[in-house]
Amino acid sequence: MKRLSIFTRGLIKENAVLVLMIGLCPALATSGTVRDGFGMGLAATFVLFFSNIIISMMRKVIPNEVRIPIFILIISTFVTIIDYFMQAFQPDLYRALGVFVPLIVVNCMILGRAEAYASKNPVLNSALDGLGVGLGFTLTLTVMGAIREILGNGTLLGMSVFGEGFKNAPVIFLILPPGAFLVIGVLKALLNKYYK
Amino acid sequence: MTSTRAMVVTLLVVAIICSVVLSFVYSYTGPRIEETQKELILVGLKEVIKADIFTAVVSDTVWEAMDSTNNVLGIVFRVFPQGYGGPIPIMVGLDLEGSITGIRIASAAEGLKETPGLGVKITEPDFRDQFIGKTLENILIKKDGGDIDAITAATISSRAVCNGIKQGIEKYASYLCPPFDKCRVFPEAFDFTEIIPEVLWYAIKENDTLGIVIVGGVQGYAEKIEFIVGVADGMRITGVEILRSNETPGIGEAIRDKVFLNSFKDRIPDAITGATISSKALIEGVQEKIEEFKGYLK
Amino acid sequence: MKNPALIFLAAFLVNNIVLMRFLGLCPFFGVSTAVETATGMGMAVIFVMTLASWITWIVYHGILMPFGLVFLRTAVFILTIASLVQLVEMFLKKTYRTLYNALGIYLPLITTNCAILGVTFLNIDNKFNFLNGTIFAIGTGLGFMVVMITFAAIRERLDLAPINPSLKGYPISFIAASLMALAFLGFSGLFGLT
Repeated sequence: MKRLSIFTRGLIKENAVLVLMIGLCPALATSGTVRDGFGMGLAATFVLFFSNIIISMMRKVIPNEVRIPIFILIISTFVTIIDYFMQAFQPDLYRALGVFVPLIVVNCMILGRAEAYASKNPVLNSALDGLGVGLGFTLTLTVMGAIREILGNGTLLGMSVFGEGFKNAPVIFLILPPGAFLVIGVLKALLNKYYK
Repeated sequence: MTSTRAMVVTLLVVAIICSVVLSFVYSYTGPRIEETQKELILVGLKEVIKADIFTAVVSDTVWEAMDSTNNVLGIVFRVFPQGYGGPIPIMVGLDLEGSITGIRIASAAEGLKETPGLGVKITEPDFRDQFIGKTLENILIKKDGGDIDAITAATISSRAVCNGIKQGIEKYASYLCPPFDKCRVFPEAFDFTEIIPEVLWYAIKENDTLGIVIVGGVQGYAEKIEFIVGVADGMRITGVEILRSNETPGIGEAIRDKVFLNSFKDRIPDAITGATISSKALIEGVQEKIEEFKGYLK
Repeated sequence: MKNPALIFLAAFLVNNIVLMRFLGLCPFFGVSTAVETATGMGMAVIFVMTLASWITWIVYHGILMPFGLVFLRTAVFILTIASLVQLVEMFLKKTYRTLYNALGIYLPLITTNCAILGVTFLNIDNKFNFLNGTIFAIGTGLGFMVVMITFAAIRERLDLAPINPSLKGYPISFIAASLMALAFLGFSGLFGLT
């Protein structure tokens, strides 16, 4: 069952955002709503999953001295792929995520896993690792998105949660930048307290 | 320590493969992206006015709305007035009398930068529906003397919407002329007095003569092409429209393309490739008529 | 927004790269533990950001656009920045040893600094010309540095304050950043800027 632990490790124990403190930029910027957070998480997972696989497949052939540029080339290729596919098939999400879609390429999470794991491990394990870390990232963003959207906008996935009479956004603060910092601070504090 | 050659080769190979993959992705998704954008615009257009066919009159800014039998029902225009947080994309539909049939404001998901929870309420039906039926004179928020209810605590956004729509109507209402009418080819004028019946008119605004409008005919490829052209003082063409033509569908009928006809306003255009005979006939016919009646211009 | 002064103000305060745009957060939280290190990082960022925006602007308008290679933007930009940082590092190591030692560790970190890549993308998306792009980059870099130094000063104090153990470290830092961001939100609307 060692394979399973490779996968679950990335979900909680070594969660990118809340434990390893990487990938903060997109986490804070795109977690305003559930759709945005989830969409961003999936996009990053796509890139992480496939670049881990390719890099792992090529790990014996890549010369050590130029490995970083080659990782970057491979990662940016997948980022560009998801960039254009999102533009074509999910234009609303693309406009909401904005500059953070191409910025996936510098998400330390992806380059970090490539360097630390995929370049040194077999393909299946690297794939599982990528999937686990990516889904952990997606989970964090979705939870943050849910908190910020429900409490900050009164909606979930665009649908009103508190009923029609609740016209005004309850805690607008949470949708705005300061709110993002606050939510992640509180989540991290909770994690510190209850998960040692 | 790998040789420099091995390093360079791997780098190049990877770079080339990546570029090739990406160019495939680009060529596949590119057209789809354009289509999606066109679909989105069409959805927006249909939201503001009940019509079936839309043709662009000014690229990406003004569309003519027609029903399935090509009757003009009105126009739709787009404006981007500066709001509180950024430009507000608004689509406005006008019927032939110049009253608003509907407005559509881009949502936050589509790029609206107004304050969440406050300014973005301008996208809600409660606010937008107030504009239906209004004409240029009464598009003002209550604070400014009109009867549009602004959004509480979002006066700037509400006011920006009103001003944007007003400016849009002032700018584009001239496209509202009924088809084949003189006002189509001479938007600046409000009145036309006949000089030669059925052939020549003065174009007038507030007792000032701005130019002339001419109806003419020329032999096209198949039959006679009847056109109407407006010429302002200084030999400036203000518009050209086809009144009647029966050129080859899909070929000669290209002379009816609005972008081609609009281009007369900048300078006499070149013939349309593939429809040379029809388009040259029209171009020469227009120039002939202008020569014939230029004496009526100042 | 073509006025250079407005572009600068918007980049520096109103749309502050860290507190409003959420770019450059990893170094922001990682390097702002002391005012001195924050200053060093800030200067390195301003330097690299300006150089990077020059080079990527030229590459985009001179090569990618004319040859219809816009889809290679992401890959080309990040590789350019990575190479630029590498070159700067080598140059500093040989010529300005002391400066290299001061900035040394931060330079490689800057490659994955999303603020740098973000600024180069925003230059293109905002359709800036070369001069406006430069002003945008400098304004953004300065905004980054000022916020980093301020935050470092706050963190130095936080380290000495009695704080609940679950809040110590990152959580209280985030909450402090939240309050800073709230303050910067007040700049919204300054001179009619978004």
